Amino acid sequence: MKKISSIEEFISFRKSILNEPADNTPTLVISAGTCGQASGANDIMRAAKRYILEHHLHEKVSIRVTGCLGFCQIEPFILAEPENYIYPNLKTEDVPRVIKAIVKKEIIKELMYRENDDDKTYCTLEEIPFYKYQTRTILKRNQKIDPIRVFNYFKAGGYSAFEKVISNPDQEWIISEIKKAELRGRGGAGFPTGLKWENARNSNNGSGKKFVVCNADEGDPGAYMDRNVLEGNPQLIIEGMIIAGIAIGATKGFVYVRSEYPLAIKHSMIAIRQARDIGILGENILSTGIDFDIEIVRGAGAFVCGEETALIKSIEGKMGQPEQRPPYPVDKGIWGHPTCINNVETLANVPVIINEGADEYIKVGMPGARGTKIFSLVGKIKNTGLVEVPLGTTIHEVVNKIGGGPSGKSKIKAIQTGGPSGGCIPEELFDLPINYESLNKVGSIMGSGGMIVMDESTCMVDIAKYFTNFLQEESCGKCSVCREGTQRMNEILTNISEGRGTMEDLTLLEELGPVIKDASMCGLGQTAPNPVLATIKYFREEYIDHIIKKKCKATVCKEIVSSPCQYTCPINTDVSVYVALIARKKYAEALEVIKETNPFASVLSRICHHPCENKCKAGEGGDPIAIRDLKRFATDYGIENNLYSTTEPVKKTNGIKVAVIGSGPSGLTCSFYLSKMGYEVTVFEKESVIGGMLTLGIPEYRLPRKILKVDLDYIKSAGMEIKTDFALGEDYTIDGLLDQGYKSVFLATGSHQSLKLGIPGEEVEGVIPGMQALAALNLGKKIELGKRVGIIGGGNTAVDAARRVLRAETSESVTMIDAARSALRTTKPENVTIFYRRTIEEIPAYKEEVDGAGDEGIKIEYLTAPVRIITNKGKLKACEFIRMKLGEIDESGRRRPVPIKGSEFTVELDTLIVSISESPDISFLKNEGLEFSKWDTIIIDPETCLTKRPGIFAGGDMVTGPNTVVDAVAAGKIASESIDQYLTGKEVKREYKLTRPSKYIEPVEFSNKELDELISAKRSEMPLLSSEKRKYNLMEVNQGLTEEQAIKEAKRCLRCELETIDGKKFLKNLEEVEERG
Amino acid sequence: MYLSEVSTELESIVDASIKKHNKFLIAVLQDIQRHYNYLPEDAIKLVADKLEMPLRDIYGVASFYKAFSFNKKGKHIITACLGTACHVRGGPKIVDAITKELNIKPGETTKDMQFSLETAACLGCCAIGPIVVVDGVYFSNVKPTMVKKIIEQTKSGIEKTDIEKYKHIFPVKVSCPRCNHSLMNTEHLIDNYPCIHITVSFGRKHGWLRLSSLYGSYSIESEHEIPMDTELNCFCPHCHTELTSSFECPICGANMVPLMIRGGGTVHFCPRRGCKGHMLDV
Repeated sequence: MKKISSIEEFISFRKSILNEPADNTPTLVISAGTCGQASGANDIMRAAKRYILEHHLHEKVSIRVTGCLGFCQIEPFILAEPENYIYPNLKTEDVPRVIKAIVKKEIIKELMYRENDDDKTYCTLEEIPFYKYQTRTILKRNQKIDPIRVFNYFKAGGYSAFEKVISNPDQEWIISEIKKAELRGRGGAGFPTGLKWENARNSNNGSGKKFVVCNADEGDPGAYMDRNVLEGNPQLIIEGMIIAGIAIGATKGFVYVRSEYPLAIKHSMIAIRQARDIGILGENILSTGIDFDIEIVRGAGAFVCGEETALIKSIEGKMGQPEQRPPYPVDKGIWGHPTCINNVETLANVPVIINEGADEYIKVGMPGARGTKIFSLVGKIKNTGLVEVPLGTTIHEVVNKIGGGPSGKSKIKAIQTGGPSGGCIPEELFDLPINYESLNKVGSIMGSGGMIVMDESTCMVDIAKYFTNFLQEESCGKCSVCREGTQRMNEILTNISEGRGTMEDLTLLEELGPVIKDASMCGLGQTAPNPVLATIKYFREEYIDHIIKKKCKATVCKEIVSSPCQYTCPINTDVSVYVALIARKKYAEALEVIKETNPFASVLSRICHHPCENKCKAGEGGDPIAIRDLKRFATDYGIENNLYSTTEPVKKTNGIKVAVIGSGPSGLTCSFYLSKMGYEVTVFEKESVIGGMLTLGIPEYRLPRKILKVDLDYIKSAGMEIKTDFALGEDYTIDGLLDQGYKSVFLATGSHQSLKLGIPGEEVEGVIPGMQALAALNLGKKIELGKRVGIIGGGNTAVDAARRVLRAETSESVTMIDAARSALRTTKPENVTIFYRRTIEEIPAYKEEVDGAGDEGIKIEYLTAPVRIITNKGKLKACEFIRMKLGEIDESGRRRPVPIKGSEFTVELDTLIVSISESPDISFLKNEGLEFSKWDTIIIDPETCLTKRPGIFAGGDMVTGPNTVVDAVAAGKIASESIDQYLTGKEVKREYKLTRPSKYIEPVEFSNKELDELISAKRSEMPLLSSEKRKYNLMEVNQGLTEEQAIKEAKRCLRCELETIDGKKFLKNLEEVEERG
Repeated sequence: MYLSEVSTELESIVDASIKKHNKFLIAVLQDIQRHYNYLPEDAIKLVADKLEMPLRDIYGVASFYKAFSFNKKGKHIITACLGTACHVRGGPKIVDAITKELNIKPGETTKDMQFSLETAACLGCCAIGPIVVVDGVYFSNVKPTMVKKIIEQTKSGIEKTDIEKYKHIFPVKVSCPRCNHSLMNTEHLIDNYPCIHITVSFGRKHGWLRLSSLYGSYSIESEHEIPMDTELNCFCPHCHTELTSSFECPICGANMVPLMIRGGGTVHFCPRRGCKGHMLDV
């Protein structure tokens, strides 16, 4: 087009574009920034064009290809204007349907946006919670703009600020507006932009030239708002730069942009050319005598060049090493000329301020931090993308309201802001309003706006190590404290993350940090220790876990974890070893390895909650290995072949007597190991049968009694004495035992008392406590349940508060389903319904149990809580329930269910089983000198199981409240070691070691074809007893893997233990042996 | 003089780059790096000669910035992002998987010179990580199990797509915007579809040019060999009008060639050889 050469012409040109009659044909907006293209936006675009061409829809619909609209996660999508209907994560094959619907002014609901945990469909962009709670001053503009078509920018009102400024190029006025708007640098440090401009304008070193630089060297990993704005709306930055140029009297601008952003470079080059063609850039702009042109300088991959003095050197074509300040760039910048450097987002705000006026602008944000800020909300969060909110918004609002909380079941524990110069902010501080000073105060910085969300699967030591590694590579090397200091910090952190750290290391890190801060010249070094110091400040426990306990809770640190399955197992089962042995068909050896650490091998092979599988690496992007089923394959093989059915008792005991009270998994495990050590153990059991919850609480269809007997017989063969029908408090006391010569006592009496609902009418006939019902059903006692049975799992929030949320709920939902399925089998009711107050997403019961209940015809009413019991003549008649919805995120990291007013409804019932949770019965322990928590659990040192009374140890459910079997077994093992230390006069102390397999097994060689099959192979599923066959009887539902299935499943194992230094050494030796042999 | 003998190819690249970037050292090195995928020793020496700078200064700059490499790179460059967001979402596992698959560590190249593995500090697609970029094509939400497939896809040609299978690759039928005569040639197939036939001239040469009619395909055939970067003058073979417009190529700025699409709409393509600029407006 022809160059515009006067202000009048420009005004009428702009007016003519803005006055064009509104076009009401529907427009398909397809966002194709780098992120959109990575998600397949180009394919969507082509498919759309193809459909329009083939169906001659040119008149009926048009297409606009834009930059990113912020919600990268739902890309690729089609947004249909004018209604802004949005079709997220669209597949090319659905494009024709969508266009057809748009043309017909219809919508296709099933293709529209949904949050995973509710059924609501969000049709328009504005309705989606991610967008709804934002203030998108800058980002909303992208929707109307195809970045390579400058007319789009005019049409959207662009260059009106330029028009204002060029018509009245009064530097003082421009600078005073920016000052009045209190605009501060969006690149991190938050320096007042107006002041910087004023200094640059007043600076006169006689060099004759001045420069404006747009700093788009967005080096902070995890932040990408500058890319977004430059890619999606480059003219906005050009407009901001011209205004800056006029304000300070510069004639030339540079956009310094990272070479990692090819699309941003491309779009800004196009935009600059178009602006030049129109006459907005160049010499004598619109004949006003003002010269201003822009050049693009591509960075070459150096993080430090984001620092302004380094950036200047880089523009000059030199190594990007920072310089001492002052002189500041506004006095002495590029080639010695005054240079004003502003961040992309800062410049994007300039036209906004000029357009609406400073008075309007300061209405958003808070004093000292006006306007909006864009954050890149990424990492372990449900809704990820760019979020623009007023400064002063709390972290909680950004993370939980806009971000929708955690991405999976893991709880969010911190956010990281400010990139490598920033720090972490723990979840406890999420009520903090975000501004420059508040973040500084808690040890982080605003930075360019990266906000990386971290959950329990993120290791803070690893994050600190990640940043120091980044910084030691990026340190320019000029200051030795930064160069050597970051390196040393990285070495120390590597040691800690590999399990070689000491507590002195932690002290050293804390000493090193301030030194590096004080003695470095530029921002990189001055902030480099932040990630380390902040993680130590808020997550010291994690460091100590790594150093002392050799634990990495997040299972990230490879050298500590070895294989996540073995690491996660509470009893340190050598999973990778026995799985590898099964793959090599060495079943007896596999069984031996299992038995080595687990006296309840057969039981746990059926009912373990297998935390190992949740952490299995094969489960990332595929199915986790069926570890428990493989264990069952080995134990079943042992039972069939009569292997390891008994153990050798010690030849001669050491004569020291130990009493174990309670014969559940915890008590028996402790007895087993103590007996093996040579102690004379007596087990006291209140009931007439042993096994505790295994016998009373777990239904036979899940754990056949003959299987349980195998393990009980094995344990008994270690040579302990067992006294049943012997109740503590009634038949004996602890003091009495000590008097009888028992040198130590292990208490493991479990947690059997069902909690009450705490609602009116609960005491009537027909309402049965869950444990009572289960025990009766399991022992084959007759109880009358009637035709209509209801089971309540999860009570009101009052109960909630009194429990340890997650762990208790695991047990609660397991017993609730067990009770339902047992009831169905033994008393033949007509219908059985479970009432649960959360959703299927939150139900922590094993999936196979929930599915099994469904197959058997048990109904589950989710989001339902009881309100009151309705009685008739003192008997249960019905129960009134209320519907719940999910509200705010609670302390367990899940969304708390809240009642929906007026949604009450009544269900007629013959029996109501209340299975909300259990607590220990401590009535018989009141005078034994022990201490209890407010939940009636006994207080011990979790490291050693020692109670407050010397020689008396405790473990299992009576310590933790209702918990899993494997944790009880683990407690029994720990207690046996502590008791041994106590009785041999050693210090009672837990010993921690790095997780390592007992031996390394040679991996099976695969052909390429076999490997391909294994990579895509699904998990082997056990055959199940059909739901017809399992009704009304107690036959075991799960039928076990076949040999062929087991071998295939075992071969799928990724053998993580071979990836440690030790594992690699083993493989190398193996190769050498082969070469020699 | 650091260099006594210079290859003409290298000299022309360096000369053009120095002229284009006004002696700006980093940009010149970037051009060389882009062309060769690394900085050959001769190139550095030649730049020193041409810019009359000491070799140590050039070496200092070239070794300071990560974008430059002194070692020859493979045919395909795989870049795995290790930004913070990609890191917490499993980026290091992706690097491990690539290392396992290709038997090279980051910064290395396979022996057959097919693949180089690199890591980046952040590629700015943080919401959809882990990110892997292969020869400029982005892959999002990458899982370790996807690595093998990505590498195989690269081997067989990353932009090669099966038109029958993919709905987004489609042929267009075009005509001259002036005389409305069809420009389709049904006798010559390119990409298995009738091609677009026009005439072109450049320098003193004049002849035919056939373009693939598939939207998104850059396949061409021509009577004379056209050197890279040549800007062609295009003509309608029927009315002989020059096909040109005021619309500029978004990539290189050349005036684009307009063609009418049968049934409505226009397609513009860039007349510069090697430039992939094109636009289809419906």
